[in-house]
Amino acid sequence: MIVERRLSAHIDWPLIAAVLALTLIGLATIYSVSWDFRNNQPGARFWAQVYALPVALTALVVCLLIDYRSLAQRSLFVYIALIAALVYVMYFGVVRGGARRWISLGGFTLQPSEFARLGLALVLAMFYGESRRSARSPVELGIGAVLLAVPAYLIFKQPDLGTAATLVPVFFGVIYVAGLPLRWLAVASIVIVVASPVVWRYGLKDYQRDRVVTFLDPSKDPRGAGHQQIQAKVTVGSGGLFGKGFLQGTQGGYGFLPVADNDFVYSVLAEEHGFLGVLVTLGLYLFVLLRSLDAAKLAKDRVGAFLVVAIISGFGFQVVYNITMSAGLAPVKGLTLPLMSYGGSSLVATLAGFGLILNVRMRRFTN
Amino acid sequence: MLSPGAHEHRVGLQNRLTSLRVVASVVFGALLVSFWLVQVVQNARYEEMADSNYLRTIPLPAPRGLVFDRESRVLVENRDSFSINLVRERSANLDRTIATLARVVGMDEAAIREIVARHKREPVFRPIPIVEHATEAQWAAVRARKFDLPEVVVQTVPTRTYLPGFAAHLFGYVGEIQDSQLDRPENSGIEAGAIVGQTGLERTYNTSLMGEDGHRNVVVNSVGREIGEPLGTTPPVEGKRVQLTIDYDLQRALEAAFKQSGFAGAGVFLDPTTGEILAATSLPAFDPNDFAVGIDPAKWADLNRDPLKPLENRLIRGLYSPGSTFKIMMAIAGLGEGVITPDTTVNCPGGGTFYNRFYQCHKKGGHGVVDLRHAIEQSCNTYFYTLGSKMDIDTIHRYGRMLGLVGKTGIDLPGENNSFVASREWKMRTTGQPWYPGETISVAIGQGPVDVTTISLATMIATVANGGTLITPHVLRAVDEDGRGWKLAPTPAPKSKLLIKPEHLQAVRDGLWLAVNSGIGTATRLRIDGRDVVGKTGTAQVISLEGARAARGKTDLDLRDNGWLIFFAPRDNPQIAGVVFGEHAEHGYSTAPIVKHVLETFFAKREGKPLPVLGAKPVPVTTIPGTTEPVRRDR
Repeated sequence: MIVERRLSAHIDWPLIAAVLALTLIGLATIYSVSWDFRNNQPGARFWAQVYALPVALTALVVCLLIDYRSLAQRSLFVYIALIAALVYVMYFGVVRGGARRWISLGGFTLQPSEFARLGLALVLAMFYGESRRSARSPVELGIGAVLLAVPAYLIFKQPDLGTAATLVPVFFGVIYVAGLPLRWLAVASIVIVVASPVVWRYGLKDYQRDRVVTFLDPSKDPRGAGHQQIQAKVTVGSGGLFGKGFLQGTQGGYGFLPVADNDFVYSVLAEEHGFLGVLVTLGLYLFVLLRSLDAAKLAKDRVGAFLVVAIISGFGFQVVYNITMSAGLAPVKGLTLPLMSYGGSSLVATLAGFGLILNVRMRRFTN
Repeated sequence: MLSPGAHEHRVGLQNRLTSLRVVASVVFGALLVSFWLVQVVQNARYEEMADSNYLRTIPLPAPRGLVFDRESRVLVENRDSFSINLVRERSANLDRTIATLARVVGMDEAAIREIVARHKREPVFRPIPIVEHATEAQWAAVRARKFDLPEVVVQTVPTRTYLPGFAAHLFGYVGEIQDSQLDRPENSGIEAGAIVGQTGLERTYNTSLMGEDGHRNVVVNSVGREIGEPLGTTPPVEGKRVQLTIDYDLQRALEAAFKQSGFAGAGVFLDPTTGEILAATSLPAFDPNDFAVGIDPAKWADLNRDPLKPLENRLIRGLYSPGSTFKIMMAIAGLGEGVITPDTTVNCPGGGTFYNRFYQCHKKGGHGVVDLRHAIEQSCNTYFYTLGSKMDIDTIHRYGRMLGLVGKTGIDLPGENNSFVASREWKMRTTGQPWYPGETISVAIGQGPVDVTTISLATMIATVANGGTLITPHVLRAVDEDGRGWKLAPTPAPKSKLLIKPEHLQAVRDGLWLAVNSGIGTATRLRIDGRDVVGKTGTAQVISLEGARAARGKTDLDLRDNGWLIFFAPRDNPQIAGVVFGEHAEHGYSTAPIVKHVLETFFAKREGKPLPVLGAKPVPVTTIPGTTEPVRRDR
């Protein structure tokens, strides 16, 4: 399959540039956080991320080259393969830190749950877009919800509540643009408000309640979850307007902020580059979101538009939640920041997703 | 391709996409405002919290000031004590390291394992102290295997070092400051954990001796490991050097002779015109070196349990009856008040009857007719009973104060007790009874309600030696305030000046001279040819005669009498004065060899002659032929 000249003319270079810029900023932050003060060199985590980058770029190119419609047509197979991988993980996965999330592939490991969003996005876009169904009947919503629930449950059991949660906005994004009656949205909101005290009382485990309580008052648990939240705020807050400078961060570099290269990578960026760094990166992320929504608008069919919205909803939700959390403004959840956090699978899956978004935009005039 | 209704769908989709754009923009705007608030508005607060995370101040303890004798010889210094530490993170095989280390330092492997287990939870880079205050052999053995044992590091700790068996009670000891001490005004600015003087001059001059701790600012990571180079170092300032009035040679002579005597007790030699203490001791004593390395609890408990009370400074804290040494004070008082003249005589038939009670003299046959000089020479009780019967207790109390026997001497050592001479006011206050003149008879020979410290008797004899000035005994001579040399400390002002007529003074001095030099005096053993040593013995009951009879064979307590010697030399223009107190020495003269050895050392030094060597311990004798020295007691 060759990219024809007229296709390549419609590649969205500004979006690629923004995505790559964020990826490189993330890489630089990991470089700083992983810095080994004893040997004065970047740590192993940095190099692992560097090695993941060409793989991720390849994934982007592949997802760009294959016509998204042929992919969508095979979305059920993709979806089933994903479920199979998740089931495999459940029984044969590699355990790290008490969670069974990874498939070992010789020298490196793969985290299938990171690809769940793409699989779900494809199958939902196909289900609501191609069949001309709209999300206006309970049955249709129900089928979509089941498609969401299966992988979400498998990931939740790993356990990985954070990643499982990122599937939910994928579903909501699609049904929203697929015409979900706003009445229903209003009713759902009311139900949530009414039900939340009940859920609080009966639906949550003690430790989950503790997390929420700790978020509202971190000083209640200054050593545990509250500690992360306090340190995250200290990290961001001490950055000031201009930041402490590259490699000059004390919170991430000296280990006062836990998982600084992963869930809290943005805190370190805010520490070292200050509010100006935040301004630039938030601008880039917003640009990526709006530019992707442009792609949805320009898409020549509903499948393309829904696919873009599905991908960008999961992405946007995760970005907003992680950045909010990184400033200590949301409860601590194991959620990474797409494009910037450490994690090869996440980077590959995210760039593959942008490959699909570029794909939709590029093929807007083809038949 | 487009079916009916597709257009509406298309429009609906476009609207909803637009609404998503709006939502995204609003959310990002809100995020930006939040970061502004956290990063810019609240920046100062979080910056401070971040700084306190990674900046640590490591104290660098200042060595205490050195202590010198009056000729600038070092008495107290600081040496490095070595502790042997294990750094687990450097060990490839901890079991093998422990086995090797056990062999090298001669410790039980299990013991080391236990120490390591106790520190299990600490970060692996933190050194675990295996041997604190290692011996030189252990330290050398570890140094020799430096390359086999890179995980074993030797750290040095500055430790106070004292001469062994030398003026322990004078120096006192140092120890970690206690919570109760932190609140005291003189300890302001001292932080918990600091080493301060706990007793002795280490405590009195703690402020000068302590110096200023330095500190090193370092960057640490979240587990406390130091990262990179220190940000800045303030070096510690060593404590000020202090010079004492103590003469090393005299102190050495005093300690050696006192130890040879085997007595517990106290002794002090001072310059009678200035109050400078040349030598002073209290025995038995502790070893201040034990405290310098942190005394172990068993040793501390032993010191506290010891019936001889080695922690008690007998020189300034022990209160005893002065016995016959009090007669000197009585003589001065009697002469000063005109009750007697030097030529007043009393007939001693072996005692006398006062207020219908017979008071015995210690010489059964009596001294016959004696004047003041000979009454002092032979310590005639009857003479002083007679004098006492003519004097008021309050007058005696007043003279006691003028001669330093009431209250504190003001010596620059902590914990001095008040010396005491009875008075009407005291009797009324404590018993509600008036003073009966009969009670004065016992007081006149230093028995009954009279209790004095050794140092206070020293001020009394110094007053006689210098002609009436009540000096303040002290051990501080000079301080090196700024590292540029000794700055003499001002001599403490005399506490009072008693006008004693020269002929009165001469009579007392003559009596004291006769006691040593006439051949029949009570202090004959103090005689040094050509030195004109003058002095007076004293013996004080630990228990009354009746009590002793009752207690005989029924108690383990040592009930033998205490012995005193007060002295100065030479008689005219005295240069040295002092007191030696022997607990249960039975006689005042028992401690004479101690005094003689120190005085001989003093004179030899002054004349540049070789210092006398302490001879073998003399065979104890109870009487000396040709004298009427009492076998039991002076009275």
